[in-house]
Amino acid sequence: MKRSVSDQAGQFIIIALLLLLCFSVIYPFLYMLAISLNVGSDAAKGGVYLWPRQFTLYNFRIVLGNEIIRHAYWITAARTIAGTVIGLLVTLLAAFGLSYRALPMRNTLLGYVLITMLFSGGLIPFYIQLHDLSLLNSFWVYIVPSAFSAWNMFVMMKFIQGVPEALIESAEMDGAQPFRVLWSIILPLSKPMLAALGLFTGVMHWNDWFAGAFFVSKQSLIPVQTFLQQLLSAQDISAVLGSGNNVESIARGTSLANVTLMSVKMATVMVSAIPILCVYPFLQRYFVKGVLIGSVKG
Amino acid sequence: MLEKLAKYRYQYIMIAPAVVLLLLFSYIPMAGIQVAFKNFHIGYTIWNAPWVGLGNFSFLQDDQFWIVVKNTVIIAVLKFIFGFPAPILLALLINEVKHSGFKRFVQSVSYLPHFFSWIVVAYILQSLLTLDGGLVNQFVAKTGNDPIFFLGSTEWFRPMIVASGLWKEVGWNTILYLAAITTIDPQLYEAAKVEGAGRLAQIRHITLPGILPTISIVLILSMPSLIAVGMDQIYPLMNPANQPVADVLDTYILRSGLQQGYFGMATAVGLLSSVISLILVLITNGMSRKLNGEGLW
Repeated sequence: MKRSVSDQAGQFIIIALLLLLCFSVIYPFLYMLAISLNVGSDAAKGGVYLWPRQFTLYNFRIVLGNEIIRHAYWITAARTIAGTVIGLLVTLLAAFGLSYRALPMRNTLLGYVLITMLFSGGLIPFYIQLHDLSLLNSFWVYIVPSAFSAWNMFVMMKFIQGVPEALIESAEMDGAQPFRVLWSIILPLSKPMLAALGLFTGVMHWNDWFAGAFFVSKQSLIPVQTFLQQLLSAQDISAVLGSGNNVESIARGTSLANVTLMSVKMATVMVSAIPILCVYPFLQRYFVKGVLIGSVKG
Repeated sequence: MLEKLAKYRYQYIMIAPAVVLLLLFSYIPMAGIQVAFKNFHIGYTIWNAPWVGLGNFSFLQDDQFWIVVKNTVIIAVLKFIFGFPAPILLALLINEVKHSGFKRFVQSVSYLPHFFSWIVVAYILQSLLTLDGGLVNQFVAKTGNDPIFFLGSTEWFRPMIVASGLWKEVGWNTILYLAAITTIDPQLYEAAKVEGAGRLAQIRHITLPGILPTISIVLILSMPSLIAVGMDQIYPLMNPANQPVADVLDTYILRSGLQQGYFGMATAVGLLSSVISLILVLITNGMSRKLNGEGLW
């Protein structure tokens, strides 16, 4: 079939628009990367758009050599791993338990979960509760309150209920208890779904700055996104790097004068973004699936 | 009965952690709403703090509060007007692309910003818009104009919030629409072509009606976050210069509650905003049922 001229023009316009969109997403990262790889004082003169003009890894060395920033990364990594593992475990257990249609009081329990998706006490009562449980200023404030996700639970439960019942029944005939069924039948089957929900949970932990900013006041507990949030409005560079020895030890041999606040900021942000950019291509097919399972109505 | 409960003991053990966590972090905070009617300070518990009646609602007479309400409504409405139709349009555009490799590429790229925090987005804005050396101001300067202080101006704040919101979430929000489009029966398009319908006519009479149920579900689900515009996106970008237009209910609660210690008042503001968002959900659900024959419940 021959395409009409207007059809081709339409295609052309659509492709141009979509390319513009892609450019708007990709370019800011390339720009920030170029700035972070450029000598700070040189970049401040302007004119660095895509490639660094005076290439240096110095900004990254400052960021990675800084004690505070390194520690913040460690906290972020720890909470992302622990939060994702514990979160998936608690949620999967509940989803599997509630997937038994004959379970006494099942509807009551489902209602109990559902209500929390519609109403909440709001931020202040939640904060008071964290205070009363002595979770403020503790690492566990990142893990425990978000360990159960009602949304993910319903998604998992729907999925588990889709597993052929004959499979579970035959295992039960062989004398398998529910924990055994979960471990040897449900778990292997739900790997793609766990990957999707695990990705969402992990990204949530990696990106969260709020808990670190308001539920924690010890600097030693803040994750990297909270560090970035504090750095965002910083006006001078020593506020960022601290006045400790680490600045001097890194700066030894090179001149700190070449570093600007902007170049350090861009390097820090790139370091927080690069892990996500790296895992993104591999996990992409999972999360689309995750959204689609999650959207199944009923 | 007991026998039945015993039979399912393992299942109850599995559900128990979730039940306890919800009790601790959802239900007790719900009971904590009573703090809105109490004089609460750290040291009291939510139960033994003294009642003050409606005393905490005195913010209703505070001019600042009404400015905050106005800002919240304006930002919510702007974000909705631009943010709601945009993913539908994008999905329609992507669907028209014939080259499947390019289609996948656009989708992958457009989902990407969803996976970065608002803090990272704030840095992107800073790197592009900042006064000294930001990319946009470099161009503004080249054209001989005075640099614009985007991040600290009252005029540019709202466009900046709307645009960054679109940039971050538009691609992600197309996923459901694209999935809905693929479920439309291709025969409908064939029939339309035979009757001489052009591309636009096909979109209007087949694609849009086909994804209407999805549109209404997304609409209902977007209601609770409509009023909660602030915390993640606005707080990082708020500064004294743009505060007159940037201060919204969420940031007001944060400031008066956690930073200034007016727990009772901040809880009362929070209660008010939860009630508003619940009402919005109920209204949209009702409307969807009426127009569409189906709602979320």
